[in-house]
Amino acid sequence: MIFLSVPSDYMPMAIMFVVSIGFVLTTIFVTHLIGPKRKSDVKLDTFECGIEPQGNSRIPFSIKYFLVAILFVLFDVEVIFMYPWAVNFLELGMYGFIEMILFISLFMLGFLYIVRKGALKWE
Amino acid sequence: MNTLIAIAGIGIVAMIADILRIRKIIFPVAMAGLAIAAFTAVSDWNTNTRYFNDMMFFDNYAAAFSLLIVVIAIIWFVMAVPDLKTGNHYSDKSALVAFSLAGSVVMVSFSNLAMLFLGIEILSVSLYVLAASNKNNLLSNEAGFKYFIMGAFATGIFLFGVALIYGACGTFNLQEINAFVATNKSDLSGQMYTGVLLMIIGLSFKIAAAPFHFWAPDVYEGSPTTITAFMSTIVKVAAFGALYRLMAGCFSQINEWWTTVFIILSVVSMLVGNIMATRQSSFKRLLAFSSISHAGYMLLPLLTLSDLTGTSLLLYGAAYAFASIGIFSLVSVMSENDDESIDSLNGFAKSHPIKAILFSVLLLSLAGIPPLAGFMGKYYAFYAALKSGNTSIVLIAIISSLIGVYYYLQVIIAMYKPTGHTSASFRFTIYQNIVLWTCFLITLILGIFPQLIIGWL
Amino acid sequence: MESLLWIIPVLPFIGFLINGIFGNKVPRSLSGIIASVAVLGGFIVSLLLFISLLGDENLSFTSKYFTWFHVGDLKLDMAFMVDRLTSVMLLVITGVGFLIHVYSIGYMHDDKDYSRFFAYLNLFVFFMLLLVMGSNYVLMFVGWEGVGLCSYLLIGFWFTNNNFNDAAKKAFIMNRIGDLGFLLGMFLIYQTFGSLNFDEVHSNAMTYAYGQPVLTTITLLLFVGAMGKSAQIPLFTWLPDAMAGPTPVSALIHAATMVTAGIYMIVRANVLFTLSVFTPEFIAVIGLLTALLAAFIGLKQNDIKKVLAYSTVSQLGFMFVALGVGAYTTALFHVVTHAFFKGLLFLCAGSVIHAMGGEQDIRKMGGLSAKLPVTHLTFLIGTLAIAGLPPFAGFFSKDEILVKVFASSPWMYGALALASVLTAIYMFRLYFVTFKGQFRGSHHQEEHLHESPPSMTFPLIVLAILSALGGFIGIPEIFHAPNLISEYLAPVTHFSSSYSARAVSHETEIILLVSTLLFLLVAIWFVYNKYVKRQAIPEPDEDIAGFGKTLAGKFYVDEIYTYLIEKPLNAISGLGYKFIETGLIKGVVDGTAQVVGALGLGIRTIQTGKTGTYLFAMVIALIAFMVIKFMI
Repeated sequence: MIFLSVPSDYMPMAIMFVVSIGFVLTTIFVTHLIGPKRKSDVKLDTFECGIEPQGNSRIPFSIKYFLVAILFVLFDVEVIFMYPWAVNFLELGMYGFIEMILFISLFMLGFLYIVRKGALKWE
Repeated sequence: MNTLIAIAGIGIVAMIADILRIRKIIFPVAMAGLAIAAFTAVSDWNTNTRYFNDMMFFDNYAAAFSLLIVVIAIIWFVMAVPDLKTGNHYSDKSALVAFSLAGSVVMVSFSNLAMLFLGIEILSVSLYVLAASNKNNLLSNEAGFKYFIMGAFATGIFLFGVALIYGACGTFNLQEINAFVATNKSDLSGQMYTGVLLMIIGLSFKIAAAPFHFWAPDVYEGSPTTITAFMSTIVKVAAFGALYRLMAGCFSQINEWWTTVFIILSVVSMLVGNIMATRQSSFKRLLAFSSISHAGYMLLPLLTLSDLTGTSLLLYGAAYAFASIGIFSLVSVMSENDDESIDSLNGFAKSHPIKAILFSVLLLSLAGIPPLAGFMGKYYAFYAALKSGNTSIVLIAIISSLIGVYYYLQVIIAMYKPTGHTSASFRFTIYQNIVLWTCFLITLILGIFPQLIIGWL
Repeated sequence: MESLLWIIPVLPFIGFLINGIFGNKVPRSLSGIIASVAVLGGFIVSLLLFISLLGDENLSFTSKYFTWFHVGDLKLDMAFMVDRLTSVMLLVITGVGFLIHVYSIGYMHDDKDYSRFFAYLNLFVFFMLLLVMGSNYVLMFVGWEGVGLCSYLLIGFWFTNNNFNDAAKKAFIMNRIGDLGFLLGMFLIYQTFGSLNFDEVHSNAMTYAYGQPVLTTITLLLFVGAMGKSAQIPLFTWLPDAMAGPTPVSALIHAATMVTAGIYMIVRANVLFTLSVFTPEFIAVIGLLTALLAAFIGLKQNDIKKVLAYSTVSQLGFMFVALGVGAYTTALFHVVTHAFFKGLLFLCAGSVIHAMGGEQDIRKMGGLSAKLPVTHLTFLIGTLAIAGLPPFAGFFSKDEILVKVFASSPWMYGALALASVLTAIYMFRLYFVTFKGQFRGSHHQEEHLHESPPSMTFPLIVLAILSALGGFIGIPEIFHAPNLISEYLAPVTHFSSSYSARAVSHETEIILLVSTLLFLLVAIWFVYNKYVKRQAIPEPDEDIAGFGKTLAGKFYVDEIYTYLIEKPLNAISGLGYKFIETGLIKGVVDGTAQVVGALGLGIRTIQTGKTGTYLFAMVIALIAFMVIKFMI
């Protein structure tokens, strides 16, 4: 079988584990030791993207940041599909071109949909 | 394949309709699209085509299950359309439903584990949103959230299983995995077995089999009623289609190994589902638990793979889905009153004598009373299990379906109790009437002529 | 021809749907016509079938529509089969049925539930046709149950009267007792022959030797079914009570068609009965006892419909005696003639009741012949026919039965001849008291007396002609004319006739014939003397004494049943309720329910609603599966 493996093959992984754990531990402890300490309520609070960590979770907040961020991620990921196509543009030829046009048009449809829904309206 | 394109097309048109502000066309387009999908599913009969480098394989099994899903979807859509239209998100919801349907078609026609995963995700992600689609209702939000978290968890388990299997045999392709299992049957690694177990568990989450059912009652109860109907029928049928395709297509050689898993899942589901259902006061929650127990019954034919397995799954799925949708049309009327308790049905028989009879028939079909479809479904499921020699399991199944009769009858009794609401509180639209009668007729016809489905696969 | 079969039952069914669904929205004038035309259509097709069966004697039409169900080895088709036996039954059902439908248009004219009546009537015809056309026992059973249901619905047609409802229930329950026998017989047939199709079962049975115990058991069970449907001892008491229904119903269901279903079933299964030991004798004895008992009771009844009801029971007894001695075609011949004259008599009775404004007691009638000429004449023909005077229909069929019975047992012949004389007595008593002498009703009734409308008299006339001439289809051998009906039905009983080849000489037959006739004439003269010459009228209820009181009390059979069956049953069920139901069953059932409930509460604690708990539970379950699969 091609999948047979010996323990020594896992050596790089072991090193990786040691290094990563070592790095984390070192940073935590060393920063603790060398950093200045100013303890106040605000400083000791859990940090979560500027949102109050305690209290009623059902408070109104602006969804726009999230929307834009999510949409950005979506479109960003979709664009990745164009990369392999661009690399193999000549091999894929006309067929690939048409498929990509189809893809992009569906993609644009999604974009139009978002615009029309007003998801990008800031005010 | 064309079925899939037609269904995805519905979703795209629904989005375009929103852009162009022509939402009126969504319902006719959806009906036409589903009709085309049904037609293509029929015309693909016996073609056995493989698509995309054997990513999908549209055999008779896939065609039959796609057809069933599409037919259920047509009836579901008729029932749901008044509800979808309320609020500002008619086209969004319709598009999501269409994409979710596309996912379910992929789930029953995959021939590659990657496609199975994709199908499950397409189905689920749309449903997470749909479950929370009643934005102003806290319960609906909670349902969407819970479903998402737990669904993601289950998907993770499933994906882990896929990865382990890929690690063990180096391929995602069903045929190749099957060949690998067949040649290395005696010395399969624990990695492989773990992978199979994790995949089964991932899928049993989708079919809501106990002990992976915890999400179901809360999500069913919280989601908008029409979406609950969708989840408990189409999703369940699709997930069972996928489960059978996976087990029969890949792992039929190690049948004895995973049979015990299914026995446990089935017994626990039947007992937990039925016993819990007896204690419910909310009709929707009762149906959630009853759907868990039905998952248990539907696992019975899978205990041994034979010619009967596929057909009895199909028959049971059809019987269960049509009766459920008919009953959900009542629940959706109850939801409009914001009272889904069983007691709120008191006096229903007096104000709607004919409908009370129809609903009683549907409930009795779910309980498995002859000569209705549910009885035939149970009969063939039990028969398949008996043939594989699992007499004690069938005994448990029969006892638990007796418990089932108890709580279904409770609902019927509640309808026939004299006191309670006046007739004004139940308003059936023409859509719900159509759905109710259709489901009633199908339930009767399938009960008398189970051959309509049995002879096919 | 096969392609026409479905039309016969479907037409009445459509009639039922139209009248049943649209109810009183159908114009009154139309619903009766729809119902009648539906049955007439069936009659025309039946006639075509009958004619086309005349040629080849082994011809039969079978038409399979679909496989009804297929469970294990049992495969049942939804299929109709029409052979010569069925075609005779079809003609009777649709022919007499049509006439009675027409009659009902007039008779039910003032009833507010006109369309419901015709819907039931058409449904009955549909089920009756299913019963005789089905090609297997199960389909026959469906029809069998269906006619029982319709009979129940129609007896209790005027459901506001509680006595009528009780009568309907009584009929239904008694029939159900019989049905149980039929059902068990069917199970045993399937177990023995592995099929329920007539041709398979019967051709398979022909290979059995005479006297196999299983055949006796099967036939006895089937006969229990026939006892219920055809009102034989001990299940006959429902039929007189069934007279609570509208008179056309009594004519159609409780005289001409449904009650003969038992006869049809036995003729259909004649192969089984011929090969059984004991059963035929048992049938003959039961039939004989029923014929005598009912005839005796009939002597002292004063309700015009009750007399006819007991005479029906008695005549059915005649038919069963014929079946018992193996004279299957003769029994069927009597079914046909009986349908004519008993249908006629009931319709006449209906016409009388109609004219009397609902009065049924013959002591309050009398001298109706002048006011109701058509009814009078047709009733006379019917009476002559049922009494068995030549050349009326009853003479031929009854004579044939008597001759066949004599051939197998002379003492039975004696008893049956007595029953036939009694028949003449109570029928002529009925006729004389009703139509001769002085009118004894109220002044108001007398003014109201009128002949019925043409829609009612037309069926009377047609049936009277049939009652007068219908016997000529079965002329006895001694007259050297062909016996049409027995020749026509010969293929049906081909197998059985080779077994029972006993016959009497022509001389004996003539002696029997003449002596029976003499007895009849003497009896009629005696009745004439008493009720016409001496103008006697039956005494009021309180003056009846001695044996007559027993007769008027119907031998107290109902009371005996009450004490023998109903009271003990009630006592047992009371005990059962006290100890078994509340003690044992309730304890066990409620106990189980409580256990289930407690379990539910227990499991419910896991269903907390917290996502974290759920995920935790899922992981635990996952680990449990791992442990089960890999550690154990």
